[in-house]
Amino acid sequence: MNYSQPLELTGIISTLDTFFRNNLTPFWATFIEGALILIAILAAYAIIALALIYIERKITAFFQSRLGPNRLGKYGVIQSIADMVKILIKEIIQINDVDKFLFYAAPFFVIISSVLTFGAIPFGMGLQAVDFKIGIIYVIAASSLGVIGVLLAGWSSNNKYSMIGAMRSGAQFVSYELSAAFSLMTIVVLSGTMQLSEIVENQRYAWNLFNGHIPAMIAFVIYLISGHAETNRGPFDLPEAEGELTAGYHTEYSGLQFGFFYLAEYLNMFIIAAVATTVFLGGWMPIQIKGLDAFNQVMWYIPSYVWFFAKTGVLIFLSLWVRWSFPRMRIDLLLNLEWKYLLPINLVNILLMVLMVLAGWTLSDWFPGLFAIAP
Amino acid sequence: MKDIILKAVPDAVIEEKQKLTVTVEPKQLHPLIKALYSNKELPFDYLINLIGMDWGEKLGVMYLLSSSADMSREVVIITSTDDRQNPLLYSITDMYEAAHLNEREVYAMFGIRFINNPDMRRFLLDDDWNGFPLRKDYDADSRLNPITIVNKEIKDIAPFIMEDADGKLTEGTTRIFDENDYIINIGPQHPSTHGVMHFRTSLDGEIVKKIDVNSGYIHRGIEKLCENMTYPQILHFTDRLDYLSASINRHALCMCIEKAAEIEVPARAEYIRVIMDELNRISSHLIAWSAHCNDLGATTAFIYGVREREHVLDIFDKTCGGRLIVNQNVVGGVMFDIYPDFQKDVKAFIPYMREKLVEYDDFFSHNAIALGRMVKIGNLTREDAISYAVTGPAGRGSGWSCDVRKHKPYSLYDKVDFREIIRNEGDSYARYMNRLDEIEESLHIIEQLVDNIPEGEILAKVKPIIRLPEGQYFQSVEAGKGEFGVFIESRGDKNPYRVKFRSPSLAAVSAMPLICRDEKLTDFIGIGGSMDYVIPDIDR
Amino acid sequence: MLKFHFIRKIFFILLDTNNFKITQNIPPSGFRGADINNMNPFIKYISGIFTAVKSLLGGMLVTWRELWRKKVTMQYPENRDTLVISDRWRSELTMPHDENNEHACTACGICMINCPNGTINVISKTIETEDGKKKKILDKHIWDYGMCTFCNLCVITCPSDAIIFNNDFEGAMFDRSKLVHQLNKPGSKLREKKPLTPKGEQKAP
Repeated sequence: MNYSQPLELTGIISTLDTFFRNNLTPFWATFIEGALILIAILAAYAIIALALIYIERKITAFFQSRLGPNRLGKYGVIQSIADMVKILIKEIIQINDVDKFLFYAAPFFVIISSVLTFGAIPFGMGLQAVDFKIGIIYVIAASSLGVIGVLLAGWSSNNKYSMIGAMRSGAQFVSYELSAAFSLMTIVVLSGTMQLSEIVENQRYAWNLFNGHIPAMIAFVIYLISGHAETNRGPFDLPEAEGELTAGYHTEYSGLQFGFFYLAEYLNMFIIAAVATTVFLGGWMPIQIKGLDAFNQVMWYIPSYVWFFAKTGVLIFLSLWVRWSFPRMRIDLLLNLEWKYLLPINLVNILLMVLMVLAGWTLSDWFPGLFAIAP
Repeated sequence: MKDIILKAVPDAVIEEKQKLTVTVEPKQLHPLIKALYSNKELPFDYLINLIGMDWGEKLGVMYLLSSSADMSREVVIITSTDDRQNPLLYSITDMYEAAHLNEREVYAMFGIRFINNPDMRRFLLDDDWNGFPLRKDYDADSRLNPITIVNKEIKDIAPFIMEDADGKLTEGTTRIFDENDYIINIGPQHPSTHGVMHFRTSLDGEIVKKIDVNSGYIHRGIEKLCENMTYPQILHFTDRLDYLSASINRHALCMCIEKAAEIEVPARAEYIRVIMDELNRISSHLIAWSAHCNDLGATTAFIYGVREREHVLDIFDKTCGGRLIVNQNVVGGVMFDIYPDFQKDVKAFIPYMREKLVEYDDFFSHNAIALGRMVKIGNLTREDAISYAVTGPAGRGSGWSCDVRKHKPYSLYDKVDFREIIRNEGDSYARYMNRLDEIEESLHIIEQLVDNIPEGEILAKVKPIIRLPEGQYFQSVEAGKGEFGVFIESRGDKNPYRVKFRSPSLAAVSAMPLICRDEKLTDFIGIGGSMDYVIPDIDR
Repeated sequence: MLKFHFIRKIFFILLDTNNFKITQNIPPSGFRGADINNMNPFIKYISGIFTAVKSLLGGMLVTWRELWRKKVTMQYPENRDTLVISDRWRSELTMPHDENNEHACTACGICMINCPNGTINVISKTIETEDGKKKKILDKHIWDYGMCTFCNLCVITCPSDAIIFNNDFEGAMFDRSKLVHQLNKPGSKLREKKPLTPKGEQKAP
């Protein structure tokens, strides 16, 4: 069934594509398209980060019975733009006794890893820069590069606080990476593919979260916890641990370099929420009920990218809510949580999912008329 | 008690002053205190205050001792030496851990060195400071101690003087840290030291091995300043010691002066004082709670606590025009009468605060992460609490009943009904819960008083110039952090001869190296929050 | 060298699980949860998870409710018109002058003597009155805003109620020298007749 999708961007994209292919050699067409995509991704990256910074500050304030930024623009909306300008024009302080090369390279590791991951996310119908067959593996691999930047930053700063922060970060990241990967694998078992676009397509009538019911929900919760931990945000913000280590691994950074860490932190939060949306909550796919064409048409009038950002936004809100409700964990509690709770549960969970899929106990197996894609 | 004293030291001079005062020769000090410390009936195991003195030709030390079992029994022991060039007295650090930092402070301020104290560095002052500030002949010329902007290397070498069995004195030095120790500086500029405090911490991975306490970065020499001021002028300094217990500290000094000058405080003023004290205690505990939560990483809790404290501060603001620096008590009464809506505001605050206490419990007290960060962390046993003289909610968290309001009731505290909150666990969580429960008890005290404030004067008749009769005067109160003490020695002038404040925070900080050993670095910060020290209280 | 030592140590600690204090399952004092010490390990493990989750959700509920409550932030300077400053709030020391440009200060200097940190400087001059008597009158009453501790001693000890603290709290300046105020207005003089209710010395503490 084809629904009318008036606000989708697929039309513009294919028009552009045809235009370039008709007028240029295949090499130049690919080159220019690649450049355009790069610009679009970098622009989206910056805009999303700025928006997130504003949203976080505002929501945090509301949780804390404050008002948050309210001086620049109506309700302080251009606060984060002003902050960005400030960070751009700030002096980058040259510090003696740091390992110069590593010190300056570290922020790029962090930001590049998050841009790489960012590129693979399907933002909407046809809005995906790279769609690998092994999309999930790619996301896991690219996002785990960031920890190298954090470790390098802490190591090269020649500062004891930074050092402790970086070591904590290393331990934390390596541990939680496992849980995050396993919970994504649980869904790979369920949907039978690693390609992100296919995973989204498969969730047309039943989100993986519901299709896989109990194991999927467990995997979802574990993914949120470990993803939250991977972003180094409270209650897992030990690497920064402002109360103990002043600013942890980025204590010595200033100006734009600090800005990179800051930006990457917010973008990682977005990426974790976006991957969770794509894998568990149906990605950009609107809510659809098999057989109710009128309802589905109404849902399709809302463009796919709006669906995507709305779902992601809910998860981001959840992450903020958690962050501003809990005290910071201690390194041993943190590792306890991972190795004694999340990982064992996860391993059992993945087994459970395998059994379920083999036995045909998913919702789409039970109620093919309601949830299965193929008739 | 006199029997014990005379049995230990037959030629001790015993006088009945405000407190039982015993004067002994330096040689006899240690045996005497040992006898008091180890007697079976009532061991005097609590060193309330250790006061350095300069009596002109003699330099000496006064010890105010008490018993942990019965804090109303107190004894003052005085010893002194004629030698102003190289004064040496005997240390009591082998019995009282609290004496460590106090003796080092006496060394910095008076130049008296203590034999057998293993670490005789100066506390509060730099090692190269010229002169001893609290001596009467101190030269305050700023050229002697110029302000430098040069970074000073911290020396990790502690001198000591030891006496061996046959009385021979040997001087030597010890190292504080090993050469290979991984030392990190927590402070002086650090978000979680609650002021300008400097902990040098040696780490083994994440685990704290040893802590060396440095303080004095914001020392203001209040005790020295007091010696040149009249009694009403001194009052405003007390607000600036432990600024969170401003009103309570000032109450202590006022009471000390009033007792010495035999001034009767009107009943109305007493009621106002106690209500203000308890409100002050609530605000102090609220900040302690908030800061503790913030140290554990819960920023939101900090803002909640401060939000509630704002209501108390508004009441202060309307009563006496000060929020943090309350500035309400004066000798003979209070400066301002309560404002017309005072009772209404206070009575509105009580149920509001109770509701918020429940919210705090839901939000933080039962939180699994918070429990993991506090339960069985930073254990302080009862014996250690007494030895380190840790009082207040922290001492009571270790099972030591040390509430001055119960043991040495002052003002109206023998007339009101309240519970002394005691927990036996001795961990961070016990200290944390003690504070929240004490807020409830303070509310209960205020409830009993607020409707019964008698009519009448708020200020007794006081001479324009107050002269205290010659003598030594002590007064203790229960401040937000523990026992706050005031000591005044008067020579009949309008200025005191010597003023000394007992700081509860100093005791809390002195216990930090003990209770943080073998804990994680993260918990060091959390334990600091649970001990709730305020640095200006130490850097008097 | 230290760095390597440190890294080795920290990883050693992380890998050695004996170092981890298992503190989550111990019921603390005052916590009225289920007693989970006497259960078998597996049930303890599971119930530990549920107790923890329950407590965390309880915490989140508090912040959730807070999200919808009225915020407490004061919006200064927008609320300047509605801002209530307590009457007793001490900001700036002033000397009230009446419509004839007359004040009550007799230049006795008691405020200056009572000030703990030398904030007040009363400069007097001696003039000859019409009937030939010499009289000390106020020349300048200098008060340093930057040094004042607002202890109120000057006001309560003043025998003629000549100075009071006002409510004008916005005293920030770009220059310290501007914080030194002269309280008596130029050309002002002592009010001739005494106020109706003289306070006298007895108010002094």
